[in-house]
Amino acid sequence: MEHLQFLIILLLSPLVQGVIKKLKALMQGRRGPGIMQPYFDLIRLFKKEMVISETASWIFRAAPYVVFSSVLCAAMIVPVISVNADGWVMGDVIALIYILGLGRFFMALAGLDTGTAFGGEGSSREMTVSIMVEPMMMLSIFAAAIAAGSTNLSRIAETHAIVYSPSHLLALSAFIIAVIAETGRIPVDNPDTHLELTMIHEGMLLEYSGRYLALMEWAHYAKQMLLFTIAIDIFLPFGITKTGAAADAAISAGLYAAKIAVFSVLMATVESSRAKLRFFQLSSLLGGAFVLSMLALLMYIMMGR
Amino acid sequence: MNTQEIRILSSQTRLNEEYIEVAKDDFRLTCVNIFRKHNALLRLMFAADERAETGCFRIYAVFSVKDEDRFVIVNSALGTDCSYQSITPDIPAAHWYEREIKDMFGLMPIGHPSPGRLVLHESFPAGSHPLRKDWSISDSELKVWSEGVVENEPYNFMKVEGEGIFEIPVGPVHAGIIEPGHFRFSAIGETIFFLEAKLFYTHKGTEKLFEKIGFEKGVQLSERVSGTSSFAHSAAYCMAVERLCGAELPERALAIRTLALEMERLYNHIGDIGNMCAGTGLAVGYAKGALLKEELMQLNARVTGSRYLRGVNTLGGVKCDFLQKAEDINSTLDHITIGYKQMMDMLQQSVSHLERLETTGVLSKDIAKSLGVTGIAARASGLNDDMRADHPHLLYHALHFESNLMAKGDVYARMMARAADAECSISMIREILSMRFDSRLAADIHKVPAMQQALGYAESPRGSLFYWVRSDSEGRPLRVKLRSPSFCNWPAMPFAVHGNIVPDFPLCNKSFNLSYSGCDM
Repeated sequence: MEHLQFLIILLLSPLVQGVIKKLKALMQGRRGPGIMQPYFDLIRLFKKEMVISETASWIFRAAPYVVFSSVLCAAMIVPVISVNADGWVMGDVIALIYILGLGRFFMALAGLDTGTAFGGEGSSREMTVSIMVEPMMMLSIFAAAIAAGSTNLSRIAETHAIVYSPSHLLALSAFIIAVIAETGRIPVDNPDTHLELTMIHEGMLLEYSGRYLALMEWAHYAKQMLLFTIAIDIFLPFGITKTGAAADAAISAGLYAAKIAVFSVLMATVESSRAKLRFFQLSSLLGGAFVLSMLALLMYIMMGR
Repeated sequence: MNTQEIRILSSQTRLNEEYIEVAKDDFRLTCVNIFRKHNALLRLMFAADERAETGCFRIYAVFSVKDEDRFVIVNSALGTDCSYQSITPDIPAAHWYEREIKDMFGLMPIGHPSPGRLVLHESFPAGSHPLRKDWSISDSELKVWSEGVVENEPYNFMKVEGEGIFEIPVGPVHAGIIEPGHFRFSAIGETIFFLEAKLFYTHKGTEKLFEKIGFEKGVQLSERVSGTSSFAHSAAYCMAVERLCGAELPERALAIRTLALEMERLYNHIGDIGNMCAGTGLAVGYAKGALLKEELMQLNARVTGSRYLRGVNTLGGVKCDFLQKAEDINSTLDHITIGYKQMMDMLQQSVSHLERLETTGVLSKDIAKSLGVTGIAARASGLNDDMRADHPHLLYHALHFESNLMAKGDVYARMMARAADAECSISMIREILSMRFDSRLAADIHKVPAMQQALGYAESPRGSLFYWVRSDSEGRPLRVKLRSPSFCNWPAMPFAVHGNIVPDFPLCNKSFNLSYSGCDM
């Protein structure tokens, strides 16, 4: 059964997106769409006709599948509510980050492929941001991984104590910034904008429509929930079941839902309380986060905890 | 330069308009003299087809003299060669007007540095000038034009070349629901080196239509030139026609017009401050601004029956006496004032928002001055340009207000200029509501005199707004020229965004809040 936990991420990620949107609307004094709206959007997009640019090559057509399956693969190696997956190569973080990197690479290629200015801009900005985000994300995970003595997510989740060391807290804050950047949220990117010139993630998707767009969007929702899950596994894994017993699993699932809710509130709050950063000032935010993760690592090495 | 060389053919003063007629060859020199000696501002420039009356085209340049409530209107009859000396090299603010005149009348500005097409789309038949009285278009030409495929006169974009320069074409169709405009950026990485804006995609023939429908119906047309400045447009238009007829408006009509102008300004400014938050991604500020604007527009609908204050103005005065609803306006304003203060406090405390605004999109005072920038954009760059103070009309001589000048000319200065202006509007509305007026709403206008001309103007939320009307020998409109503030401010935008980064362009654009429709008549 544990092998199927990735379905939780796959099937519930539009709901998480819907909840975040609803929270944001409430914080802005709007009523907002219902929390099921992302499902309706996906269904609508899957039914719609596709319009594909004449200049698009096979990359444009392949990218949605590559992006979607990379997120799917990544979701498969992440423990969601149970770490008891015997015999299964559960969760090497380095593999995980590179699988996600593959998806990102193809998305950027697809943005460039049709030769539109906005796609190119989006891809170039995405790559600029990822240069800063990827190492920072790696370092913050390593800080936790060294403490656990393994780069396997299941191991990290298992061995984690409820007591937090300073190094853990630093790494967690760096990781949260990485999650914000990776999910294309304010202050790094603005997911709700219609202003083509300011777009990063949306810019790369501008040429997509119909089924391909649905896949891209779904992959994006899933990636968001996946990143929340990784953060939970590494930094807040308490309550995750090790036995696979039904009662334990139920508690674990309940806790997991609560933790995801906490992340959703956090994302909505950050997004509602800040303006987007000027593009060239992203380096100070992301650079700062890099320093945090570096400190986390150093602190562990020097203090031993 | 020597003024003695100029021979003034005729001069005529009416109200605050001084018409000076000079020979065609003296036109440029006269304009330059007035511009330099009186430190005058070029307010608008236009042509009229007076061939039926006097046998020639005539060009007009309207200057407003500094620190005086006086307009000097230089005009010249053009001969059969349909050309004149361009004043753009001396007065850069004339550059668009001369191109517009060339498109619409076929009058050549000799010596204009860039006399290409401005208003007419490149598919428009060559040699066809719509504002000429004898203009007509054949069905086949119309078809070619409306399909927009054939380039009768190609539009040449400025080509910037060099290492690392790449072009980003944006529009004319945009992702948001906005009007069409094509922006071509030449960027080095993310930094904007050059921006060329190609506008005028939706020419509607408004000025031609004004000539056809007569003065009476023109009020409704003027209300529909630009949605958010509906009232300012109709107020300026009515003023022009009323001055043409020599009508004296009752005080109550003046008060109601002033009140409505300030109500229009208030909802626009608050909405615009909110819109600037959309440019930085500050969703809460945007939502708050939209909410306050909506409340004000609902107030408009309650007191006048129109969210855009349409249907209030009529020639000779107003139709709707909403001074009687002072209580509703006052209590809504109480509520708005609290909400507005909260919004401004919140914005002032949002470091992330302010950080985006400061030093972004700086428009220098020099450029603003030489391009004739008007309204908020001018005041934010330290130019004191406010029709309410420069040429007091309606009730403005009796009201207390300040023109709020900012020095820096960046996006932040434009936000703060709007905020200060909005506060001014609130206090002016309250002041008007506390005054008492007799109950007459409109003066009677019996007949429009023949062969007369007059200016009408207003300070719209975006800046100065002008109408110039002239009647023909039967008292029908011969020419209605309208000049919206966006026509003056659009050319300044490329200067403001130079050196900024591409993702900051929408924010700069929002801070100017320019209308596409308003300058594409």
